[in-house]
Formats: sequence, C-alpha cells, structure tokens
Amino acid sequence: MPASPQGSPPSLSTPRPHIEVEGLELYYGSVPAVRGVNFNVMPGEQLTLLGPSGCGKTTTLRAVAGLEQPTAGEIRIDGLPVFSSARKINVRAEKRGLSMVFQSYAIWPHMTVFDNVAYGLQVRKVGGPEIKDKVDRALEMVQMREFGGRRASQLSGGQQQRVALARAFVFQPSVLLFDEPLSNLDAKLRADMRIELRDLQHRLGITSLYVTHDLEEALAMSDRIVVMRDGLVEQTGTPDEIYSLPHSEFVADFIGSANLIRGHHRPDLDCDGLTALETATGQLIYGMAYGRKAGPEMTVSVRTVHLRISQERPAGERNVWPVKIEKTVFQGDFSQIHLYWGDQRLVARCAAMEPIAAGRDVYMAVEPRRVVLLSPGNR
Amino acid sequence: MAELRHGNLTRRRMLKAGTGAIALPFLGIAAPNLLAQGVSKSPTNVLDFTTNADVAKAEQEGQLVFYCHENEAGTAGIMEGFNKDFPKIKTSYVRAQTGALYNKILSERAAGRFDVDVIQLSDIAPAFDFRRKGGYEHYVSPESSAYKKDHLSEPNGYFFWTGVDPAGIAYNSEKVAVSDAPKGWKDILDPRWKGKISCKISASGLQFVQWYTLRKIYGDGYWKEFAKLQPRAFDSRVQLFDRLSKGDDMITAIGEYPAYILFKSKGAKVEFVAPPDGLVSTPLVVGAVSRAPHPEASKLFVDWAMSKRGQAWYQSNPNLYYGSVRTDAPAMPTGVKLSDFKLLYPSDWDEYASQSATFLKEWNSMLGL
Amino acid sequence: MGSWFSAQKVAGYGVAAIAAVLVLYPVYFLLQAAFDVGDPQIRPPTAYGLDNFSSLLQYPQIMLNTLMVSLAATVMALMFGSLMAWILTRTNVPGRRLFEQLMAVPYYLTPLLGALAWSLLGQPESGFINGIWRAFGGEGHLIDINTPYGIAWVMALFEGSVAFVMIAALMKSMDPSLEEASQVIGASRIRTIMQITLPLVTPGILGAAIFVFAEMLGSFAVALVLGLPTRYYVITTAIYQMIQQYPPKIQVAAAMGASLFAVMWAMLYAYRRVVMSGSYVTITGKAFRPRLLDVGRLRYVLLSICLLYLFVAVILPLGTLFFASLQKIAVVFPTAENFTLDNFRTAMAMNAVRSALSNSLLLAFGTATIGIVLMGLLAWLIYRSRLPGSGLIEYIVMFPQAVPRLVFAFGLMWAWVVFPIPIYATLWLLLIAYLTVFLPLGVRTIAGVILQIDKSLEECAQMCGASWAFRARTVTIPLLRPGLVAAWLLLFIASVRELGASILLMGPHSKVITPSIVESWFGTSSELTAALALIQTLVVALAIIVLVVVTRRVGALSVD
Repeated sequence: MPASPQGSPPSLSTPRPHIEVEGLELYYGSVPAVRGVNFNVMPGEQLTLLGPSGCGKTTTLRAVAGLEQPTAGEIRIDGLPVFSSARKINVRAEKRGLSMVFQSYAIWPHMTVFDNVAYGLQVRKVGGPEIKDKVDRALEMVQMREFGGRRASQLSGGQQQRVALARAFVFQPSVLLFDEPLSNLDAKLRADMRIELRDLQHRLGITSLYVTHDLEEALAMSDRIVVMRDGLVEQTGTPDEIYSLPHSEFVADFIGSANLIRGHHRPDLDCDGLTALETATGQLIYGMAYGRKAGPEMTVSVRTVHLRISQERPAGERNVWPVKIEKTVFQGDFSQIHLYWGDQRLVARCAAMEPIAAGRDVYMAVEPRRVVLLSPGNR
Repeated sequence: MAELRHGNLTRRRMLKAGTGAIALPFLGIAAPNLLAQGVSKSPTNVLDFTTNADVAKAEQEGQLVFYCHENEAGTAGIMEGFNKDFPKIKTSYVRAQTGALYNKILSERAAGRFDVDVIQLSDIAPAFDFRRKGGYEHYVSPESSAYKKDHLSEPNGYFFWTGVDPAGIAYNSEKVAVSDAPKGWKDILDPRWKGKISCKISASGLQFVQWYTLRKIYGDGYWKEFAKLQPRAFDSRVQLFDRLSKGDDMITAIGEYPAYILFKSKGAKVEFVAPPDGLVSTPLVVGAVSRAPHPEASKLFVDWAMSKRGQAWYQSNPNLYYGSVRTDAPAMPTGVKLSDFKLLYPSDWDEYASQSATFLKEWNSMLGL
Repeated sequence: MGSWFSAQKVAGYGVAAIAAVLVLYPVYFLLQAAFDVGDPQIRPPTAYGLDNFSSLLQYPQIMLNTLMVSLAATVMALMFGSLMAWILTRTNVPGRRLFEQLMAVPYYLTPLLGALAWSLLGQPESGFINGIWRAFGGEGHLIDINTPYGIAWVMALFEGSVAFVMIAALMKSMDPSLEEASQVIGASRIRTIMQITLPLVTPGILGAAIFVFAEMLGSFAVALVLGLPTRYYVITTAIYQMIQQYPPKIQVAAAMGASLFAVMWAMLYAYRRVVMSGSYVTITGKAFRPRLLDVGRLRYVLLSICLLYLFVAVILPLGTLFFASLQKIAVVFPTAENFTLDNFRTAMAMNAVRSALSNSLLLAFGTATIGIVLMGLLAWLIYRSRLPGSGLIEYIVMFPQAVPRLVFAFGLMWAWVVFPIPIYATLWLLLIAYLTVFLPLGVRTIAGVILQIDKSLEECAQMCGASWAFRARTVTIPLLRPGLVAAWLLLFIASVRELGASILLMGPHSKVITPSIVESWFGTSSELTAALALIQTLVVALAIIVLVVVTRRVGALSVD
C-alpha cells in the first residue's frame, strides 16, 4: 500500500490514515531488525503485522509506540510526525497518546486490579469519582467487575489479560497497540479471546495495530494484514487477498499450506485468459496470472484445500490428472493426503473421509482460478 | 660512657641548626615574637598548681586534642587524669608510635591543617626538629622552676621532660632458667635466643636510643649480631610483655620497667634484668603546639603535666608508671626512685639526632622493609 | 531529539558524574604518588619516573608471599565452598536452609575477629590448641597459625564465603534434567557426578576461582594480625607498614598499590571473559528446583561436616575470645585467680567502645541511606536507561573492585588532605570512602533487583502516559522496595565491618570499630582486645537484629 504523498491535501472522500509508517529502519548496531517498512493504518481498522519470529514485527510495533528508537524513517500519528529521522523529531512514548497491551500483560503486582486500570486516568489527573465510574465501566466491558479489589498477583493468566485490556482503553486512546497479547494463553482460551477482542475493538471504534505470529489469529481479527519477513514487508492486503492471491512463495507457504509448482511458460497453450505451465516432467497445469507478469520460468501456488481427490475421473478437460496415493494422515476435522503427481509430491487436504489405502490410484483435479501465479523473482 | 648526661645544647647550636630548616609552609611564629610571648601574664592558681593560661578561656574552648606516642591505654590514661581535674574540657587523642606520629603531624601541617593542641614524643630528636620548624608554641610555664635546666628545652618554653622510660632486659621465667638468663646487654646476642627475642619498631624513640647508646658502647658489630637473631618487632611495650608473659617470646631486648611492673602485678611469670651498663632511657617530652585550635587549653595542659599533681598522675597510673624528673617528685609506686637507677642516655643529643636516618635505614632493613 | 534537560538525563548524568569523581579522583592521586620520584615532602610532585616500580624488585619475597597465601586460601575456599554448596543445595541433609543462612555468619564476624581468635588458638607457644596438645603429651606445637598456611586457613574460613555463595548459586541454576537424563540411561550416581555435573559446573567454578583469588590478593586483616609478628608480609600489609613506619615510604607503597591494582584488574577482566555474561550481575533467569540427591545414611555424616564448619568458623572463635577476655593473662588451663572482669570494665571506659561504636553505627546508617539512593540511580542508569555512555559508567563503578580497600584509602588520603573543604580526618571523609569502595557491591546488588523486574512493567506505565518521575514513584520504586531494603542492610553491615579503608582515614574525632580493634591489638593486651571486640560485635549484632525486624515490616510485599 503506497503511503499517501506528503503534502497532499486530505480529501473528503478518502479519510486520512491514522498511523503512517514510512521507510522505517532499525538497526541494533550493525544488526538489522527492520530494513525498510512502509504501511498505513486507517482510522478504526485493525492492521496486523504477521510473520515468523525475528521478522521485525514486534520491533516495528515498539517503534510506533516509542519504546524503540528507529535508525531512519518517519512515523506519523494523525498526520503529526512522532518520529522523523530527517527532521530530528522523536516524541517520547508517554507523550504519543497511544496505548498498548503487552505480551506478558505487565500487570503491576503491587497494586489492586482497580488501581492497575485506574493508572492511566491518574496520570491524566482525572478526578476520583470520574475514575471510579470509568474503571468500573471498563472492567464491566471485560467482565472483570467483581475483581476490582483483588491483588493482581491473585489472577489467572486469562484474567490478567482482561485487566491489561481494560487498563489499555479506559482512558479512551485513539490507538491501541497489541504485542502478541494472546500468545501466552492456551488454545481454547485463545480462540475465545480472539472474538472478544475483535468485538471490543469494533464497539470502541479504536484503531489497532496488532502483532502476532499466529496465522489463524491474524486472519480472524484483521481488516488488513502486513506479512513481514527479515525486516521487510512481503505483502500487504486483506486476509482474503493474502490467502487467495499470495505474491511470493514465502507468503503462499506461510499463509495456509500451499503446494508450489515450478515450470516453464507455454504461451502457445494459453487460452481463455488462462496461463499454461509445463513442469520439467511434462505435466501441464492451467492457472491464472491475476495481473502478474509471466516470465519464461514460473511458479504457481495451489492451496492444499483446493486439490480435489476422487475415485472416478471428474468431468472437465483441464487440470485433471491420475495420481498415486502415498499416505493419508488423519487429522480429525480433515485428512491430509500425500500423493505423487508425476514425480512431484503434493499434499491435498480434504474433509474427513474414509482413509484411502496407500498405493491406490485416484484422480486429482483443481480449478484453474485456484492455481495462482506468483510474482517472478519472489522467493 | 654511661652517665646521666645532657648534651651541649647551646643556644648558638640551636640557631645554627635552625638556619638549615626545610622550606615548608609553616607560617609559624616570627622571630621577633619569640621573646615577647609567654611572660606577659602573671601566673594564677588553679587547683594546687600555677598556670599562665587563662583557665576560664580554656574551659570555654572546651576541648583538647592530644597527640601522643603512648599505647592506647596509656594515652587514655593521661587524658583521664587531665579530664578529671578539668571536666569541662573534653579530651580527644591520636596515638601512634613516635616516628609515625611525628610524620603525621608534619604532613598535616604541610597541607595546612592545624588541629593539634599538645604533642608528647618519646624521642628528643623529633622534638628538636619540631622546635626548629616552629612547631612548638613558646610558652614558659610557671611550673618550670621545679625542673632542672637539663630537663627543659633550650631556651625554656618549647618542651619539657614529662618523664623517663627506662628499659632493661626481661625474660619469661618459666621458659628461661635463672642460670641461662642474660645478665648484661652482651648476653642478649646469644644464638640461643634466635627467633625468640623481641624488640620495638623503628618508629620507637626508645629503640633509637638503645640502638645509639649500645652501638657507642659495643661498636658497630653489636646490632649486626642482633640482626642474626631474627627478632620480632612490635609497636608497644604492652605487646612485648603480652607475648613474653605467654611464652610466645622467651626474652625481650627492650623490656621497659613500667611494663614489667604492670605485668608482674597481673601475675605474669616475667623477670626483669637491670644490666650493669645501665638502663637505656629516653625522655618523654611534652610541648604545646603552635597554631593550636585551643591555645589556652593546651597551655593549661602543659602546666598541669609539669605540676606535682600531673607528675604524680603520670607516675602512679598503671598504664604509665613513668619516672618523674621533677626535682620534688616522690618515689614511684614500687618505692623506687628514678635516681636509684643507672640510666643510659646519649651524651651528645645533636650527634644522636643526626644519626636518625642511619638508624631508620638499618633497623627497617633488619625487619624486612 | 527529545528535550535536552529531561529529569531522566539530569539524574542520570548527575549521578554518573558523582561516581566518576568519587572513583577517579583518588586513583589519580594514587598513580601520581606512584610515579613521583621527587622529594616526597613536596607536593605537587617535582619529578616523575619509574624508579618506584623498579624498587619493587627489591621485595620479591613479599610478592611470593602474597601469591602463596592467596593461592592456598583460594584453593581452600573453593574446597570448602564447593563441598558446602554441594551438600546444601544438592543433597537432602536436614536443616539445609538454616545452614545456608548460617554460612554468612563468618563474614559478619569479620576476618579480623577470626584472625584474633585463631591467633589465640594457634600461636606456637601460647596457643590454646597447642596447649591442649602438649597436655595430651604432644611435643612442641600442633599448629602454627603464624605461617602462610595458617594465614591462608583463616582467610579461607572467613573471607571464603563468597566462594560458597557463587558456587551455590551456580548449582542452583543448573537444569536438573541434564543429570536426570544421565541417570535414566543407567549411569551410577558417581558417574553422573563425574561426567555430567562436574563438567557443567567447572566453568562457573573457574570463574569463581578467579574472582576469589582476586579478593584474596587484596586481603588485609588476617595478614595484619597473623603475619606482622613474624614479619611475614603480603602486599597489603607491606603497604600498610611502609605508610605507618618512620620514615614512611609513601612512593614505594603507592607503586606497590598500583601494581597490585593492575594485577587485580587483569584478574577481574579474565573473570568477566570466563563468565562471558559481560556483566557482574548474576542474572537469575529461570530458577530450577534441583532434584535433591538422597544420600541415605550419609546424611548424618554430611550434617556433622556442616556442624564442624560452623564450629570451626563461628563457635570456636567466639568462644575463644570470650574465654580469653575473662582472664588476666589468657592461657588454656587457667587457675581460679586468673579470672577477672577487669577487661570488660576497662573496655567499656575506652574511647574505642564509646565513640567508635556510636560513630560506626551513625556512619553505617548514613552510608546505607545515601548509598542506596546513589547506587540505585547508578544501577538504573547502567542497566535500564538507554542513555549513551552507560557502558563506560559501568566500568568506572566497578573500578573499586580491582583496588584493595587499603590502596584506595591511600589515594583518598592523599586526595582529600589538600581539598579546600576541611573534611580530612572527619566522619565525612569516611563516608565518602565507604560510598566509593562499596559502589561495586551496592550497584551489583541493586542491579540484580532491578533486572528481576520485567521491563514491560515500566514500559506499560510509559504507554499509560506517565512521565519518568511519575513512573519511578508509582511503579519502579514500589517494586524495588524489598530489594532496596535488603541492599540497605547489606550496605549497613559492610560499613560497620570495614577495615582497610578506615584504618588509614580515621582521625581523633572519627574513630570506628574495626580499626579500633586493630589499634587495641597492637597497643594493649590481647585479653583487653578480646573483650573490646566482643562488646562491639554484640552491640552491632543487636543493631542488625533490630534493623532486620524493622525492615521486614517495611519491605514486606506480596509480590509473586
């Protein structure tokens, strides 16, 4: 997503981005953590930074918060720069007017739950009765109202997390930063909290910048996702876009399981807007370019769930092949089928079905629109 | 020649020495004031002695800082005596063996600190030096009349002999049979004492006197022989006798009579030997210090120390047991008078003083540093 | 970038400047004296040169002595330390926690007291142990405490507890599953210990060895009491002797001190490399609960080893001092008339008891209170703030670790005697000296506390909008409080037992406890000294107990 050009007047139809990150670089000495990151967060949206550990997502978040000092770049909140290496601006974290939920919750053990939540209001010199009112309402929203008088050390992980959340929004910040807030919870709780957080965010209408390494979380909660790797942005887009139309092998593989097929372009066989790819062993597969340039050597990505396995040969001419089953792995809600396509191994994911014995011959088919061309040179 | 002697300290000699003074920033007493001071007031009576100090002012000053060579108990004892008579004057002291003590006061004065009222040294050589440097306040005590000229500074008013500390040989009577015991100074060189004989450290005034006088009598080889015995050196006579009484040492080459008395009274198995050549003795000199923070108190102390009262205290306090040189002094608690002893002093104090550097070098290298 | 005069920066750089002055000012004077080859009476120096250092070659015996004693003491300390650490952290000996606490008692008693007591016990002629030996028909003496091994023995007993602390911490932080993996495979206990435990522990023990050796090089009290009588000098006592004797050899002493400083610096550098953490703080990461070895019957043997250690290091010395203080002339088999209370009577009247005790307690209070503020700010500056230059400050603060207290005091004495403000020979000078020499101890302790606090607790307060001062007041300090209280106590105790620096800087109005005991030892009878030492120890112990009770209340906090 290109950043809005500096100096352009805000138009009435397109709202101004709430958070703008431009050319952000952060080096620890000579070790790069963030090597040039650009993105915007629109008011009210949740943008998630997603990527494997070490990709620089947390560092970027902390740089926006003001807890890390970037080496270069610019960060603007509501149009005002809070950091600019060119103009030598660096606003301290406590003055940026943001709010943050930490991975470890950071609940202060020497205060009660009430005092924890009230802290931000006390800093802003809010009066006693007003504090009580706001804190109660915030705790209500996270269903922790009865815990007001408890000491923080007596709470469970999930409870601490809610308190951390209440504390973060009680003083009505316009931006909330989340640093992997759910990663310390068990799977079931995580799944529930995901939904709660999303609802809360919508209700409050707060702009959120969210960091996680969990794919499901990102896909479920975000309005848009920024996929990061090695300090750089791989791809920015809505969850659907990222999922269905990955740019690169990395994104394709990271966001859901994908089969990557390499081959060379057969422009003579292109038709109906489809691109033809021939593998080294002569297999032919049709896919869609989606606006990407097709070079002589290409890679396409096929999601495992889009490969259909059947005993009988399905109707249709294109993208139907006989394949041999290598093994079936039962995974509860679905089964993972490993098969040989020519001499390449592919993985298909099907809804729970009777296991097929290894060595059996079956048919595999895939819709051409599900075969996505990846941008060239993107490995 | 072992006799009670005082060197030819003529005024001329003193002045000659004075011209060679080291250029230290002593803004001491300017020469013209030298004679003017001291005899300005008429003496007053306080308790049973006379003083030229302003007693009321001294009590107003309320403090006395005393630098002394004596061990802790002895110094505290002296202060106790003064404080008993003048309870309004709070006493405090610093004690260190003479050499270290003198060094301390010199470096303090060199740095511009003048915190000392009175100083007592166990060696007359640094007293001469201090006098030359203008360190002593010139104050003539009305009590001076009770002292022979030999026991006062020349000219009077800088320091005086507050007592004499005579030393002979002492041994542990359980470890040493009477037949083996040393009879004279030569006997301590017997190789049987190797590793079992003690002496004092180089900062001790008395040790310097012993070195000088025995060297004069027995020649340079005496102390070289002594060094072969690998003697152990200590700071105070109490330490020497402590070890002696427990048998950690068999004999001590410098057994001070006051300490012998003290330990004997505690039941220690020690015996004292007065060698026929005489008991090595050093004068213990007291003087008021110039630029004292409490000048009247310091003068008062000098008078007190010189008085019969003060001398009686010095003589009878078990931690001191000094021999008094006051002409009208009574006998020491043991019934002995100082004049009953044959005392060994340097005959030429000037020559003695000039040997200081040699002594220090020899003695320190004997002891390993 | 940000506001220049933020409170944070002022506090941080202000305190760093203070630390730099405290540490570097005396070191400068020490080095100046070491290189001064002109007339010692004239200051500032007239000529500089290396003569003082070359004259050190005249004293090879002293260097040898120092090495020998330090090496022996280190080996002994490591042996005791490792044995006791293993027993108390890895086996199921009863009373483990109590013993662990008690291991610190010899440190509190001070090596000086230990040396006094063992002198009474181990002198070849008059020593109690030798007296008993002879009573049982033995010839001559059983032990001679005035020998290098005697000195090393006492050093190890009383100064070696740091070895125990380090090795115990090491053993506690070992992951038990490493040993369990070996045992599951079928290796015997012995084999596990030899092939798994020992190799894992060895780097840490090596680090501890270097550290302890550096400490032993700078040891003073024991060599002073036990070595001086037989003219057995080590570097620290030689320096002391050269300063105290007449005429003093200030410049040579300074050169000796500077050399010792250089060696210790090198050792501590090596220590840091070995430990590889790059910091003096042993960061308590995950604390494992080590699986205890069931030693069965051996339990009682090990228990008796612990009791024996306690006996030798605490009960025997205290008992000896008490026994001696009640006698006129201390012997091992006294007659009825040898007993007296005179020593206690005299001691109570001595200045050393009256003014020294009150001075020490007052000074300790001041040092601890000012200390935790100063060192707290420094620890925060070095380990938490991201102000530039904090690495340099860490070096400066840890400087005094490499300098023996006595040598530091030498520089201090030289430095402050010419200072325009007359603090020389007052308690103020001692306060400054203590604050300086305790910097490594205090900063290290408080840093350990600070680092245990999750950074996110402070960052969250930041994100809630709190300024540095508000954060410090509402979050940082309340969380630090229990640790700060413990550090306060530590500084208090370190202050009352201090010897090396105090002995040179004491003045007539500023007498303090431990040096006054030394003065008494060299100037009065050993029985009186024993009485004096006991009175002072008792009073200090009472003061500490009161403080511990009080601070338990103040520091109590239900923090997980």
